[in-house]
Parts: sequence; structure tokens; C-alpha cells
Amino acid sequence: MDEMDLPQMKKEVESLKYQLAFKREKSSKTVTDLVKWIEEVVPEDPFLNPELMKNNPWVEKGKCIIL
Amino acid sequence: MGEMEQMKKEADGLKTQIEAARKAVADTTMSAASAAVAPAPRVQLKTRRTLKGHLAKIYAMHWATDSRLMVSASQDGKLLIWDSHSGNKINAVPLKSSWVMTCSYAPSGNLVASGGLDNMCTVYNLKTPVVKTVKELDAHTGYLACCRFLSDSEILTASGDTTCALWDIESGKQKTVFLNHVGDCMCLSLSPDMNTFISGACDSLAKLWDVRDGTCKQTFQGHTSDVNAISFFHNGNTVITGSDDCTCKMFDLRADQEVISYQDAQLNAGVTSLALSVSGRLMFAGYDDFNCNIWDTLKGEKVGVLSGHDNRVSCTGVPPDGMCVCTGSWDSFLKIWN
Repeated sequence: MDEMDLPQMKKEVESLKYQLAFKREKSSKTVTDLVKWIEEVVPEDPFLNPELMKNNPWVEKGKCIIL
Repeated sequence: MGEMEQMKKEADGLKTQIEAARKAVADTTMSAASAAVAPAPRVQLKTRRTLKGHLAKIYAMHWATDSRLMVSASQDGKLLIWDSHSGNKINAVPLKSSWVMTCSYAPSGNLVASGGLDNMCTVYNLKTPVVKTVKELDAHTGYLACCRFLSDSEILTASGDTTCALWDIESGKQKTVFLNHVGDCMCLSLSPDMNTFISGACDSLAKLWDVRDGTCKQTFQGHTSDVNAISFFHNGNTVITGSDDCTCKMFDLRADQEVISYQDAQLNAGVTSLALSVSGRLMFAGYDDFNCNIWDTLKGEKVGVLSGHDNRVSCTGVPPDGMCVCTGSWDSFLKIWN
């Protein structure tokens, strides 16, 4: 803030007023929602669902190929 | 009291009010909210491919939306387009300026972009018989730290001149300039719905912006040094940052605050890059100490490490299908792990 000139400082005050007005939600709701969301998507996460990693494009499927 | 003094006092007052508003909604912790969740298992990944081809430090990489192709940028003065499955190089794009710091793949797969100490973002068409420069986006007065396409016609940039900008590629002009950071902008991440984006800067802050009207909607503090890496969760409500202060932090957009920090007493290296698995449960963070640590984002614990690079891990990326993680390093190699 020390490097700002007056017009910049006025803009900073306007911005802070706008940011203050944001409707914050209780973290007991938002963080709970996040945990629930992650849990719901985990089955689609190849790193956490070994079934999905079975179709690994970087691992050869069988030991031999028929030429 | 001079007008400047008055303004400063008003600004300080507003910041205090914002902190109070945050405290008022902080009625739980991540620890409490995730208590019933089992810890993530230990993650041990193998290097599936080592992509060799660059002749100098790699600074950036970005996956194409097909989860197969990717672009990497090195200070050897080239962008390389790789087929990650075969490990083959599909294209080599020579750069006018070798001091590249960022690269990006357009969602369509038609274009790539790069930029760095030349202060410009150059857009290339990969689909012409020979790769052609589409536009040089020239208006920033500082280095280009990060760029991300919204489409073939619009791109977002983050610059060392402390601004971010939304460009119309065809006209080569800035449509919107995002002014509010007081330090070099180092990174940006677009929200899944593309209406907002988040930026990280050397002022140790992360800021959420409205893409269309340019307003700074929210500011996230907590880091004590440059924010080098940033990523949205796919839910659009959560963001993770990585910093030179050796920590990563999760910020909840709806509660407007930090909810958990990822740090370790033995970890003394800055975070250079980060990428999330598709659920966001795992975070891959690249550090100056040549490693990439894997974190359980809900429990705040390290669950794995990717060791194999002989120099700083400068970039990490998980493709849209989530099937692997790619790390790029100053040792000039890219590695694919899963």
C-alpha cells in the first residue's frame, strides 16, 4: 500500500468496499459440502479407484503380441 | 489529516472488517469436517515415460483436452508437442525469444501459446501444414508468467507488470485488464464455468476476478511469499495455491478464507507448481528440492513422493481424464507417472 499514489489508493478503497460486501457462507456448510463433493467424485478418480487405472495407456496389456 | 492518510485509514479499516466477517463464518475446521473420512492410501507411482528432447531447462507444460497430447516449453528456445502415449514428438515450434516462462494448449487443440521475458504472448496454429504464428499479443510491460486459452479467440495472461489481461486473439488487443495486485503476477487458473479466474502474485496474495467486467471479487491472504502456483478444484468453489514460503494452502471461495495449509517442518523448498487429481483429493506439488510431493488435500498429510528428477521440478500437470501426472524439470526431462 505504501507504493500507491492517491488515485490508486482511492481505487483500492473502492475495491475493498466491494470485497467486504461479498456474502460469505458459514464454513460448516461450505467445507462440509466440499468434503461431500470430493467423496462423490473419488470413484471417478483413477488415482484412487484402481478399477479405472486398469486401462492404463502407458502399460502394455499382455506380455506377448501376435505379429 | 491529508487525503492520502485518510484513504489509508479507510483501507485499513475495511481490511479489519473483512477479517471480522471471515471470523464470523469460520465455525468449523477442515480437520473436524473430514474427521469421518478415511485417510487417502499411500500413493506409489512409477515413471511410465521419460520424454527426452529438450536441451535446456523446462519451464512449463500443459495437457491438451484429449489427455494424450501435451506442449512443453524450454529455454532451449522451443515448444515441443508430444504424444504422451508413444513418447514421440509431434511438432517442434521454434521461438523468437528463448526466454520462455509459460505455454498453453487451446481446448480445441488447434492452437498453442507461449511467452516469457519478451513480455509477449505468441499464439501459434498447429493445424497449418507448417506451424504458423497467428498473433503476437504485445501490451504487457513485464514478463509473461502464465497464459490460458478460453477458446480459439480469447486468452488470459498473467504478467510481471502486476496485471492480468483478457485478449481478443484476432485483433491482438486487450479486452479487459485486471488491476489490483501490487506484485508480479505469477500464475492463473480459470474456473470450470469460465466466468471467473484466480491469480497468484509476488504480493503473496491470490485474487478472484470476474472475467468479463474485470472486477476483483475476492482476495485471499495467508502466504508469506510469492504465490507461484494456483489451481481451481473442478467444483469451482475451492482453490489451492503453492508458494515460495514452502507451503500450499486451500482457500474456500464461499467462506472467503483459508481452510487448511499443507506444510512440513522438514520441507524447506519453495513450491513451484501444482496439479490436482480429478476429485481434488490428491495434490501433486513440485518443489525447488527436485521432488514432487503428493498430498491428501482433506487430511493435510503427505501420502507419496515422486523422486527422479535431477533438478527443480518446474511444472506439473494432470490431464483432464486424470490418468497420470506429468512433471517437467530444469533437468530438461518430462516424466509421466501413474
